[in-house]
Amino acid sequence: MAYNSFPYLCIFLPLCWLAWALLPQRYRPVALLGGSLVFYWLMAGTYTVWLLLAAALTWALGLWLGRLQDLQAATTPALDPGARKAAKKSFTALQKSLVAGGSVALLGLLVWLKYLPFLVRTANSLLARLPMGWQIATPTLVQPVGLSFFTLMAISYLVDVRRGTTRPAVHYWQVLLYLSFWPHVVEGPFDRWGQISPALLDPPKPDYRAFTFGVQRILWGMMKKLILADRANMYVKAVFDDWTQYSGAAVVVGTLLYTLQLYAEFSGCMDMVVGAAECFGVPLAENFRQPFFSRSIGEFWRRWHITLGAWLREYLFQPVIVSKPMLRFGKWCNTRFGAALGRSLPVWAGLLLTWLAIGLWHGAGWLYVVYGLYYFFLQWLGQAAEPTLLRLLPRLPQWREHRIYRLWQVARTFVLVNLGMLLFRANGTRAALDMLASLRRPYTDSLLIKLDIRDLWVLAVGALVLLAVDLLHERGVSIRATLAARPLPLRWAVYCGGMLAVMIFGAYGDNYDPAAFIYAQF
Amino acid sequence: MHTIDEIMKILAEVKPGLSAGPDDELVRTGLLDSVEIMSVVMALAEEFDLEISPLDLKEENFHTANAILALVNRLEA
Repeated sequence: MAYNSFPYLCIFLPLCWLAWALLPQRYRPVALLGGSLVFYWLMAGTYTVWLLLAAALTWALGLWLGRLQDLQAATTPALDPGARKAAKKSFTALQKSLVAGGSVALLGLLVWLKYLPFLVRTANSLLARLPMGWQIATPTLVQPVGLSFFTLMAISYLVDVRRGTTRPAVHYWQVLLYLSFWPHVVEGPFDRWGQISPALLDPPKPDYRAFTFGVQRILWGMMKKLILADRANMYVKAVFDDWTQYSGAAVVVGTLLYTLQLYAEFSGCMDMVVGAAECFGVPLAENFRQPFFSRSIGEFWRRWHITLGAWLREYLFQPVIVSKPMLRFGKWCNTRFGAALGRSLPVWAGLLLTWLAIGLWHGAGWLYVVYGLYYFFLQWLGQAAEPTLLRLLPRLPQWREHRIYRLWQVARTFVLVNLGMLLFRANGTRAALDMLASLRRPYTDSLLIKLDIRDLWVLAVGALVLLAVDLLHERGVSIRATLAARPLPLRWAVYCGGMLAVMIFGAYGDNYDPAAFIYAQF
Repeated sequence: MHTIDEIMKILAEVKPGLSAGPDDELVRTGLLDSVEIMSVVMALAEEFDLEISPLDLKEENFHTANAILALVNRLEA
C-alpha cells in the first residue's frame, strides 16, 4: 500500500483520521498505533515480527537506562566525593554497555537482513582467487520494509535516553508507535522520540487549519510524484537500463531527468508523509530545504535528506571524532605531522567513515561505496584546496559575496550533484564508467526517448513550477499561509486545479498504477 | 580563564580568511560548517587539553567566538 495508491489515500487515511478524530482524546494514540500496525502488516506481512522485536528490545533497554539514571540520582548525592565519582563511573559504564549492546543487536539485524548477501558475494569473489575453490552459499533473505529507518530511529532513542536529553517511554506500545508510525516507517524522515512523542502520545484536538494544510501538502506531493517523477522515469529507465545504446546528449538528458525524478519523488513523498502526519497534529521533521540552491557539496547535504545527515552527524561523526581513540590519534598526528594535520586527519577519518555509511545505507553494493567516496572526495578537495586558493586568489572572499560568483557556485554544485546522480542510478560501477566515457561520443538519434514532445513540455513546465516554489520558500514565503488568507472560492479553485492536474498530467501505468517509490527500497 | 584572542587565533588557523568578530554568527551564516566545527573541537582539545563530550557539540556552544570561549572556560572550571 504505497503512499500514492488509491487504497491508502481514499480508504486507509480517511478511516484512520475519522477514528483518530472521533475517539476521546486519551484513546487517540490507539487509532495511530492500530493504523500503523495495519499499514505495516499490509506492507510487510509476517516480517512485522522484526519490527515488534526491535521495538521490544528498544523499550526494555530504554526503561533499564531510565531506572539506572533514577537510581544514580537517588543514591549518589549522599556519598562522599570519592565514592560518588566511583559510583558515577560504574553507572556510566553500565549505561554505555546497554546502549552498545542494544545498538549491536539492532545493527546486527540490519546487517543480517540487508547486507549479508552482499558480504557473502564479496567473500566469494575473494575466495574464488584461492586455489581451494571454496564458495559460500548466498543466502536469500527478505529485507522488511522500513528496516533501515526504524533501526536508526531505535538507536537514536537509546542514545538520547542514555545522554539524558529525553526520558524513556514507560509502555511498550509507546515505543512501538514511535517506530512504526506509518507516515515515517517506509521512507523516513528520521524523527527523534523527544520531538514527536508529545504529539503521538498526547494528541492535540482535530484542527481545521492543520487538516487543510496537511491535505494541501499531500496534493503537492502527489503532483511532484505523478506528474514529474513518474514521467521522467520512463526516459531515465530506458537510458540507464540500456546504457550501451546511448551516449552524449541522451546520457546528459537522462541524468538531468533522473535528478529531477529523484528530487520530485523523494521530496514529493516527504510532502505526502509530512502532510499526512500534519492532519493528525504530528509535526514530522523536514527532509528537504531547497537543495538545488546550495553553493557547495557540504551545503547540498545539509539541505537534501536532512534527517539522515543530521542522524549520522549526531550519532556517528561527532561521537567518533571526540572519542578517546580519535583524540589520541589526533595527538599522535600532531607530534608527527604538525598542528594542521593533527586536527584535520581525525576529522577526515570521521568524515570518510560517515560518507561510507551514507553510501552503504543506500544499498548493499560496491557502487554505493563508490558513491559515498565520490562525495567524500569532493568535500575533502573543497576544504583541502581552500588555503591554496586563498593564497593564489587573495580577493576570493570578496568575490564570494558577489551575485555572479554565487550563481557560479550554485551551477558548479548542480553539475557535481548530477555526476553523483549518474553514479547512483547506474547499473553498477562498470556501467557508470561506461556512461561517463560515452559523454564524449555525440548522440545523433532523436532525444525523444520513450517520451513525446507533450511529455517534455509537461516536464519542462513542471520543473519550472517546482523551481518557482523552491524560490518562494527560499525567500521565506509560506505559500499555504498565503493561500489560506485568500477567499474560499479561490482556494477551492487551486485545490481542484491541483487534483485535475494530477488526473490529467499524471503518468500512470496500467489501471492507473503509479510507479513504486525509489527510497522505499532502502 | 582564557581570552577571546586565543579563540580567534584557533578560528583563523582552522579557517584561513575567516572574517568574523567575537560576536558574529558563525554557524547559521555558514561561516563554519559541521566539518570545520569538528576541526575547531580538535584544535581546542589539543590546545587546552580538554575533554569534549558529544553533548557539548551543540550549535549554541559554537555559534560565536565568545560562545566557544564560554564553552572552553566552562569545561576547564
